[in-house]
Amino acid sequence: MNTMLDDACVTVSVDELRVHAGRKALLGPVSFSVNAGNTLVVMGETGAGKSLVAQAILGNLPEQLHADGVIEVDGGRVDNVPVNVRAASWGRQIAALPQEPWRALSPLKRSARHVSETYRHVAHHADPEAACAKAFEALGLTGSEARLPGELSGGMAQRLAFAAATAGGAPILLADEPTKGLDSDRRARVVELLSAVPRQGGTLIAITHDVAVARALGGSLIVLREGEVVEQGDTRSILAAPSHPYTQELIAADPSTWPQTLPVAPGEVLLKACDLSVKRAGRLLIEGLDILVRAGERVALVGPSGIGKTSLLDTLAGLQTPASGLVQRAGDLGTRAVQKLYQDPPAAFPPHVSLKVCLQDAARLNGTPWTEVEDLLARLAVPLSLLDRRPDAVSGGELQRVALARALSARPRVLLADEPTSRLDPITQARTLEMLAEIADARRLGIVLVTHDVDIAERWAHRCVALT
Amino acid sequence: MGRVRPQIAPWWRSVLGILAGRGFQALVVALVVGIVSFIMMQALPGDASYRIAAGRYGYDMMDAASAEIVRLELGLDRPWWMQLSTWLGELATFDLGRSHVYGSRVVDEVAKQLNYSLLLAGGAVVASLVIAIPVGIAAGMRPGGKIDHVSLALSIFLRAIPAFALGIVLVLVFAVQLGLMPVAGFRGLQHLVLPSLTLGLGLAAVSSRVVRDAVAEAMSAEWRLFSRTKGLTARRTVVSHVLRNASLPVVAYVGVQGAYLIEGVVIVETVFAWPGIGHSLVHAIFGRDVAMVQGTALALGLIYVGLNLVIDLVCRLIDPRSA
Amino acid sequence: MNAMAHDETSPMKQRLAISTSRMAGLLLFAALGGAAAFGPALVGHDPASQSLLDARQGPSAEHLLGTDHLGRDMAARLLSGARLSLGLALLSVVSAGIPGALLGVLAARSGGWTDRLLTAFADAVLALPGLLLVLMLAAIAPGSWWALYVGISLTLWVEYFRYTRQRARVVLAAPQVEASRMLGFGPSLILRRHLIPEIGPGLLTIAAFGAATAVTAVAALGFVSVGIRPPQAEWGVMMTELLPYWREAPWLILQPVAALVLTVLALHLSVGGMRRP
Repeated sequence: MNTMLDDACVTVSVDELRVHAGRKALLGPVSFSVNAGNTLVVMGETGAGKSLVAQAILGNLPEQLHADGVIEVDGGRVDNVPVNVRAASWGRQIAALPQEPWRALSPLKRSARHVSETYRHVAHHADPEAACAKAFEALGLTGSEARLPGELSGGMAQRLAFAAATAGGAPILLADEPTKGLDSDRRARVVELLSAVPRQGGTLIAITHDVAVARALGGSLIVLREGEVVEQGDTRSILAAPSHPYTQELIAADPSTWPQTLPVAPGEVLLKACDLSVKRAGRLLIEGLDILVRAGERVALVGPSGIGKTSLLDTLAGLQTPASGLVQRAGDLGTRAVQKLYQDPPAAFPPHVSLKVCLQDAARLNGTPWTEVEDLLARLAVPLSLLDRRPDAVSGGELQRVALARALSARPRVLLADEPTSRLDPITQARTLEMLAEIADARRLGIVLVTHDVDIAERWAHRCVALT
Repeated sequence: MGRVRPQIAPWWRSVLGILAGRGFQALVVALVVGIVSFIMMQALPGDASYRIAAGRYGYDMMDAASAEIVRLELGLDRPWWMQLSTWLGELATFDLGRSHVYGSRVVDEVAKQLNYSLLLAGGAVVASLVIAIPVGIAAGMRPGGKIDHVSLALSIFLRAIPAFALGIVLVLVFAVQLGLMPVAGFRGLQHLVLPSLTLGLGLAAVSSRVVRDAVAEAMSAEWRLFSRTKGLTARRTVVSHVLRNASLPVVAYVGVQGAYLIEGVVIVETVFAWPGIGHSLVHAIFGRDVAMVQGTALALGLIYVGLNLVIDLVCRLIDPRSA
Repeated sequence: MNAMAHDETSPMKQRLAISTSRMAGLLLFAALGGAAAFGPALVGHDPASQSLLDARQGPSAEHLLGTDHLGRDMAARLLSGARLSLGLALLSVVSAGIPGALLGVLAARSGGWTDRLLTAFADAVLALPGLLLVLMLAAIAPGSWWALYVGISLTLWVEYFRYTRQRARVVLAAPQVEASRMLGFGPSLILRRHLIPEIGPGLLTIAAFGAATAVTAVAALGFVSVGIRPPQAEWGVMMTELLPYWREAPWLILQPVAALVLTVLALHLSVGGMRRP
């Protein structure tokens, strides 16, 4: 990196950082330095060791892990300092934004208390309540003071966590996957919040798997893969011209860069919903919707969290009766001609049974020869050796492909997919959707994809139905 | 903060819900106890009036005439369904009748014994918490540590010893062998120590693990780490975040242990000849004194319901989410 | 993020430790069960035959565990007590467990009024502490083995029912079952692939704890003289009978206490758990 930096304004510098579990190397070597008013983005997929960077800087690595290398914060060396001493700088010098805000906010405390107690006990603010009210106003949280974290939306909880983490006045902020599980609107708000940190002279170290977030935050970038740095430098120039194939793959996996799917000649109508209304827990979510699913066509249902996408899908599947309106299947469609893919693949399999037994059951019941299932699995790049495992011993991407094979063994005509890739890493997501599209085209399946990602909806599907 | 508390209405609704639920349970208790007691009376071998007369006046003094007096006095000659409805009717008006053996009013007897039983139950709960909370917290702060292992082994072992066997052992060791404590009966507070320790140890064997699990879970929770990284000291984190969250399962578990407590009261009172309701119940069953069986079982059942009611309300207080 | 994946040594060790203690519990339970089944025939003494001249003897070749205050052979009496307690416990596991689990699945599957009625009945049983109910039911027919058995089964079925109902409701509503149904799975496959693997282990744990509860209840009631009656050899009854001779012959009272504690310990350890699910 740039070695001409003025030492006085370097706030975090890391030299040859390595993290081990026993003899096994998990991360490193990683070296970088960030100045006040700047941003460092660490990008990579699950298992790349991104979080270890943040934990090593903060000093809260799990006990069984061991870190080597020199870490300096504000010019002082911290890597050789015991945790309980380093803890004194938490909240005051260096703050951390948690990955999943719901789990990071203690569930029995009302919102305002999370922030005001930081003002009172960490910043020793003269009027913590007033400071808290001001922070709530700035973050658009006013009115939620007495609510419990469990009653907040994901975006609100993340903003509350931001307020609580930064109330102590720390100039350095570590943000670990701050946009995980948020839809695009909420993601944009959090990114805006984070980019204000360097603008106001602070230092931001953000960890993300999301190329769009990295692009929006700018600064400098480290791309990690399985603990190793594959590329490092200025964020915008790397994202514009990545030199490493992994970085290229990662960028190509970002849905906003996908090519637009070409329209197809629509086949016969398989599923038809007229003037459909959907209720959940007595609340009317969707009203007067018309949907047509035709053979060989990919329809996306897009909308923010909580709009009733899943309930709508269940209604189309015939698992839920519509509040009003009608869902009609083409006359020649049997009960098993409509199959479903789930958001959380492990939850869609019996946990105590091997995948093989599960697939064999499905094939036998639907009269599909086992060799056909094996061919399918080969096409989906699922090694047959995987089938002896239970669902929890297989990665999410692999399991979703097994789920696809299982659904296809019932020879469906319509496939309803409920956010099937939202819990997968970007490259896996891209691959999974690509395979799904390939097979759907080859078999002339009608597909309904539920997603909160507008880019996926617009680029992957032939037709996009926005729910508002 | 106390700025806005919009949950007033749901709060009351949830409290009323708790009261209604436990009230219903009390009703079921009364019904079950009443019906079983009634069947018990019907199932008495031989002519109940003779038995009761013998119990009252002694075998030598009993004859057909005294049996007839008892029969008329207790209405034992009517068909069973009339007797049952009278029986339950009396129960509904809190008329528990007279002890067939002593002749005194059951209500008076039970009221006399109630204090002793509550004292014992209270002593047991205090003893169990005094043991379980420190042990559980120490074990939960370092899961897998030495304290955790030793307390786990002790807890498994203690759990396997039924209350009365533990009572026997404690009596043998402390009272008979060491002469430190009085053995049985009740003539002062020192008599409370062994019985409540017997019960309390049994309760603590499980509740210490509940405390441990709750503390361990709270300590490893992400919100605990977050409250540290936002700048709170370790001490403040424990005081203002960990203890409150960890206390919830513990308090809820005391309610689950209510059943063990009531069962224990029955048995332990008998071991220590403690003049409470449980002892009296066992005596009444042994002596076939059905009215006393009904009165004492009802009292124990209602104590159980009352305990659960208190636990529900405390949980509701700790956890505003349940609204 | 993935630090947990590397922490494989300690859970492994833990699993090993649990399985050692479980194994110990299972072996102990098997030994006790074997003794209860075959012991009485091997000892060669009648548990009821008295011989006042031989009262309160220490262990000898003739009387392996000594004799009680009436000169009865302790080994014969302990084994006869074991047969009574374990037999009743195992029978009650069957007669409480099978209907309890089946009704639990039924309630979860059908919902509506079936569910409401069954749940109300279970709640009514739970309104009173279990032992109190057993005590009262046993009191209807004092000293009767049948009354104890019926009382204990009636109290214990609720745990199987509640556990099964609650778990089955969750499983039946989960995506795993929905997916299987859409693929054409019938009730028998749903039961075999989803419900039994999910609920079976928990039911086994409840069964072990329930058996321990039954053994303890029999002894407790015998001890306070409202259960099995003398001269029947039952552990609780033996404790009451032998307690007065604590000073002269401490080994006597300790025998039924140890038998009871070991049985409960074996049952608890055999499922490796501290608490019911």
